[in-house]
Amino acid sequence: MTERRFVLLMLLPAMLFLGFLVVYPVVLLVYNSFFDVKLIDPSSRVWVGLGNYVEALTSKRILESALRTLKYSTFALFFELVFGLGAALLFAAIAKRSHWHRTIFALPLMISPIVAGLLWRFLLVGNIGILNYGLAGLGIIADPGAIKWLSDADIVIYSVAVADIWLTTSFVALVSYAGLTNIPQEVLEAARIDGTNAITRFWYITLPMLRPVLAVVVLVRGIDALKTFDLIWIQTQGGPRQASEVLSMNIYQRMVRYGDLGQASATATLFLLFMIALAGLAYWKIWRTDNG
Amino acid sequence: MVDRAPRDDGKLIINAVASVLVLSYALPYVYLVSTALKPAADVQQIPPSFFPAQLSLENFGTVIATAGLPQAFLNSVTVAVLTTLLSLLIAVPAAYVSALYRRRITVLFMLFALVTRMVPAVSLGVPLFQIMKALGLLDTTIGLVLAHTSTAVPLAMLLMAAFFDGVPKELEEAARIDGCSRFGAFWHIVLPVMPSGLAITALFSFIASWNEFLYALLLTSQHGKTAPIVIAEFNSVYGLAWGPMAAAAVLFSLPVILVTLILQKQIVGGLTFGAVKG
Repeated sequence: MTERRFVLLMLLPAMLFLGFLVVYPVVLLVYNSFFDVKLIDPSSRVWVGLGNYVEALTSKRILESALRTLKYSTFALFFELVFGLGAALLFAAIAKRSHWHRTIFALPLMISPIVAGLLWRFLLVGNIGILNYGLAGLGIIADPGAIKWLSDADIVIYSVAVADIWLTTSFVALVSYAGLTNIPQEVLEAARIDGTNAITRFWYITLPMLRPVLAVVVLVRGIDALKTFDLIWIQTQGGPRQASEVLSMNIYQRMVRYGDLGQASATATLFLLFMIALAGLAYWKIWRTDNG
Repeated sequence: MVDRAPRDDGKLIINAVASVLVLSYALPYVYLVSTALKPAADVQQIPPSFFPAQLSLENFGTVIATAGLPQAFLNSVTVAVLTTLLSLLIAVPAAYVSALYRRRITVLFMLFALVTRMVPAVSLGVPLFQIMKALGLLDTTIGLVLAHTSTAVPLAMLLMAAFFDGVPKELEEAARIDGCSRFGAFWHIVLPVMPSGLAITALFSFIASWNEFLYALLLTSQHGKTAPIVIAEFNSVYGLAWGPMAAAAVLFSLPVILVTLILQKQIVGGLTFGAVKG
C-alpha cells in the first residue's frame, strides 16, 4: 500500500464521522438560520434571509445574555487564575511533600458540573444554605438571610460562577504546577544569589517562563466558561427573571420553549463565529509571540 | 517568600497554609456526602448542621426506589461505554497517522479537530436534534452515543496524537524493515507499547460522556434519559428533595472519584499533558 493511500485510509473513518456529525450539522445550522422554521413542523420553512440575524442583533434579551456570558467568564477565569496559581506556588514551595495536597485538589476535576451545580445551589440557597450560617457565625454578615446569593438579580451571575471557580481552580493549579516544575531551578537559584527578593523573582522569572502554560490555560478555560450551560442551568435555570441567563441558555430556551428553530440557529451561528474568531485571535497572538 | 525565616520553619508554615486551603476546598463535597447520610427529616433543618446527628441510609433508599433512576444509571453506563469504544475506534487511527505521517492533510485535519473544540455544544445540539429526529434516533441511547462521540472524537484525537508523538518513528520503521505492512506496524508494534495512553484517552472519553448534560437534555425525553438528567429533575418534579438529590449526586460521582484516586498519577499527567500540548 502506498503511504498516501494508508494515510487516507486511516483518516477516513474520522473524516466520515466528523463530516456527518460536525460539518453537516454546522452547515444545517447556518442553512436553518435563514429561515423561519417551527420546531414542531420543520418542513414549514419560510425564507427570511438575514431577518433572524437582524432580530438576534437587535434583541435586548440576546444582547444582555451575551454580555452576561462575558461577565460570567471573566469573573470565573480571573478567580480561577488567581487561586489556581496561588495554590500551585504553595505546592511548589513544599515540592515533594505536596503529594497529598495535590491528590485532594485533583478530585473536583472529576466531579460532574451537574453535581457541582447542585451542591453549590444547596450551599447557597435561601434559609437552609449553610454558607450564610457560616458567614453569620463568623460575624462577616449580620444574619443568615443577609445575602440572597441566587435570588438577587444583581449578583446572581457572580454567585453561579462560584461553583465554576470551585470546580476548575484545581485544573489551573495542577497545570500551573506542572509548568512550575519545568522551570530550571538553577535560574531561580542564580537570581536568589544575586540578592533578588521572592516577589521580583516571581514577577521577572517565574511568570514569564510560565506564560505559554498560562496562555493555554486561559484559552481552554475561557472557551469552556463561555460555553457553560449545565452548571448555571442546574443552579437557577437562568433566573430570577433571566438575570443569570447566558447565551447557551438563551439559544436552548429559544429552541425548546419557544420552538423557534430559525431564531435559535441564527443566534447559535453568531455564537459559533464569535468563538472561532476569538480562538483564532488567541492562537495568532500566542503563535506570534512565541515566534517573535 | 520566607527567605528570612529559617527554611524548615518556612516550609512548615507553607505546608500548614496549603493544608488549610486544600481541606477547605474539600469541605463542600464532604458536606454533600454528610447531607446524603442524614435522616431525610434532618436535611432541611434550620439552622443546618454540618454533620449528621445520626447516620441514615434513608436518602439512598429513596433514590434507588425512585422511578426511572436505576434505568437512567444503566443508560449512562451504556452510553459512556459505547461512546468510549466508538470514539477510540475512530480517533486512534487518525491520531496515529497525524503523529507519525505528517502531511498537509493530517495537519489540516488536526487543526479541524482543534477548531471543533470551540464549537459550543448548543450550536451543534440544535441541528443534531433535527438530524436525530429525521433518523428516528431521538430519545435513544444510540442517538446520544452518536452525539457524544462527535465531541469525544476530536478530544481523543488530540490526546492520542500527543501520546503517539512520544513514540520514536524508528520503531515503526524497524517493523517495516522486518516485513510488517504499514497497518501491521500500527496494530502489532506501535499500539501495544502505549497501553497507558489508550487507557487515559478511554477514561477521558468515558468521563466526558458520563458527565454530559446538554445533549442528553435536548435529545432524550423518556427512555434514553441519563443519570444527570434524572438527578436534575429532582429539582422540579419532586419539589426540593435535597436529601435524595444529595444521595443521587454522591452515587453518581463516586465511581469516577474512586477511579481517579486509583489512577490519579496517570490522569493528572494526561490532563496536564493534554492542556500543555494544547
